[in-house]
Amino acid sequence: MADAVVRHVVTFGRVLREAGLEVGPGRLVDALAGLDRVDLTRRDDVYWTLRTTLVTRREELEPFDRAFSAWFLRAPVQPPVRGFAPPELGINLPQGATARTDAARLDKPDDREPTPVGWSAHELLRRKDFAAMTPEELAQARLLIKDIVAARPRRRSRRLRPHRNGRQLDLRRLARRSLARGGDPIERSFRRRLDVPRKLVVLCDISGSMEAYTRPLLLFLHAVVGSGRGVEAFAFGTRLTRLTPALATRDPEQALDAAASSVVDWASGTRIGTSLKAFNDLWGRRALTRGAVVVIVSDGWERESATLVAGEMARLQRAAYAVVWVNPLKGSPEYQPLAGGMRAALPFVDRFVSGHNLASLEELAVVLGGIERRHAA
Amino acid sequence: MSVQTIDELEASLREASYLPDRGLATALYLAQRLEKPLLLEGEAGVGKTEAAKALARSLDARLIRLQCYEGLDVAHAVYEWNYSRQLLHIRAAQEGTVAEEELFGREFLISRPLLEAIESEGPVVLLIDEIDRADDEFEAFLLEVLSDFQITIPEIGTIRAVRKPAVVLTSNRTRELHDALKRRCLFHWIGHPTLEREIEIVRLRVPGVPERLAAQAAAFVQGLRGLDLAKPPGVAETIDWAQALAALGRQELDAAVVEETLGSVLKYHEDFELVRDRALVELVEQARARV
Repeated sequence: MADAVVRHVVTFGRVLREAGLEVGPGRLVDALAGLDRVDLTRRDDVYWTLRTTLVTRREELEPFDRAFSAWFLRAPVQPPVRGFAPPELGINLPQGATARTDAARLDKPDDREPTPVGWSAHELLRRKDFAAMTPEELAQARLLIKDIVAARPRRRSRRLRPHRNGRQLDLRRLARRSLARGGDPIERSFRRRLDVPRKLVVLCDISGSMEAYTRPLLLFLHAVVGSGRGVEAFAFGTRLTRLTPALATRDPEQALDAAASSVVDWASGTRIGTSLKAFNDLWGRRALTRGAVVVIVSDGWERESATLVAGEMARLQRAAYAVVWVNPLKGSPEYQPLAGGMRAALPFVDRFVSGHNLASLEELAVVLGGIERRHAA
Repeated sequence: MSVQTIDELEASLREASYLPDRGLATALYLAQRLEKPLLLEGEAGVGKTEAAKALARSLDARLIRLQCYEGLDVAHAVYEWNYSRQLLHIRAAQEGTVAEEELFGREFLISRPLLEAIESEGPVVLLIDEIDRADDEFEAFLLEVLSDFQITIPEIGTIRAVRKPAVVLTSNRTRELHDALKRRCLFHWIGHPTLEREIEIVRLRVPGVPERLAAQAAAFVQGLRGLDLAKPPGVAETIDWAQALAALGRQELDAAVVEETLGSVLKYHEDFELVRDRALVELVEQARARV
């Protein structure tokens, strides 16, 4: 193959990497091998060959097309839509306290992890509303959130694994063990279906009215995402953003920063119905919801139509195993679900819990762990 | 039969009653020439599985299909030992002891789709359908098959493909596939066809359908896809529907017959209601005007 083509493709690979595609040398080799077998004068064949060999997922199609027209067609290119830099992920605290930036925290050598407090203080902290916490208390809360072991709902796997008390004979082992016994199946081995974590989908409202609760709830989300496979986290405000990759890092602060940078509409208005619809259309259709426990964290203040919320909640509930709604406002004794979105959603909610303090997060973990029947209220 | 050019493959797929667009034809062609598996993704009903079947027909190859499901394991996908035969064999040997190698020889092995595809001497298209339904652990089993076209059985050793099968994987994206698996595959996203192509597909797949009816049905379904539906219909639905309409002896669409038969296009009750109450008459008019 002509050197020029090789150089062209290699440079194009670099352009694609800059556009966010994962283009390894193996893929470039495939692309070159492919180009070797098609008519290079046909532009659409070249396009399809490069697309088939260099793209691995649907989300990459659009950046690929942009890069292709820029590189090969020399067409003027629109820069990718880039969101505003998100405002700092701090929390507006009452009593005028300012939240520190994470960078500042890291720079200060004396700023170690706060030391654990005694039980009574701990208990006070557990009951304190997140909105009323000082930055120090919040840092304490962070440690405790890590300890709230996310007791995930479980389901029976269809996969058989060796098990002492299993019901089904493990014939493979049986045959092997019978060898020494002249074919008599004396030592029997069994297999059975084991329990595995059920899929868990968390949709977290991060609009302005939820601001005081967003950070602790994201910490909770981070702990849940870290609890194993099959967890998907989304944030919504005016639109829906998938947070799972951002929350998948070890360090919660880093994870929160990553999450913050992927959410453009941090702390703006709420469009619950539209966001749920986006979720159902994009992810529900791909059966992400099917058989999953879906947790929605929101105060239910819908800016637009409550009818849309009801319709989308119905769709969600039909596919889900159970729907849990976490509303931090519910922590207040005089709370009544009067917000239009909340009222519309409630008929489709299996469990309605608060999430305003640590104690209620523990309660949430227990609720999640205890869901044993589909749509069990 | 081996394919020499994209045009050739396109033509032979057409003969097998499948109309790929240039992109899919290129992807299938490259998969053959580069001897790599092809991962097909796309909305339900755009013809992912059908593409593999048509490829088998056009290559004059045997189609071996592995339908994936949750809990699928090696014993169902790759191979299994014939235990009853093994036990009988030990019994039959009676006095003499049976060596382990004897018991785990080829004659006691039952081939499942993957092994069958690897061992086949004739041309084979291996369809691994809805891979996203299998547990992600299962993907690990596939890696060896897909990259080296070989299967390792601990008791026997490594079995290499006599001739490499053409492999097509389909996924509905209910979950993200593992990168290691994707890296071994070429990738193609099948979108909904253009109106002209969809009409052509309907006429090819529903022999004897009146020309106007085929065109109007395709235009109507294209209109439906423009609406905000929970489950937009795929080409498979258009074909089903055109079949139903043709069976009713229709020459053209009208609002009444659409309402009666809409159930074969829209599978969700909300979608059905939405279209019937708000869009039906208008869409029928548009479809009639377009052709």
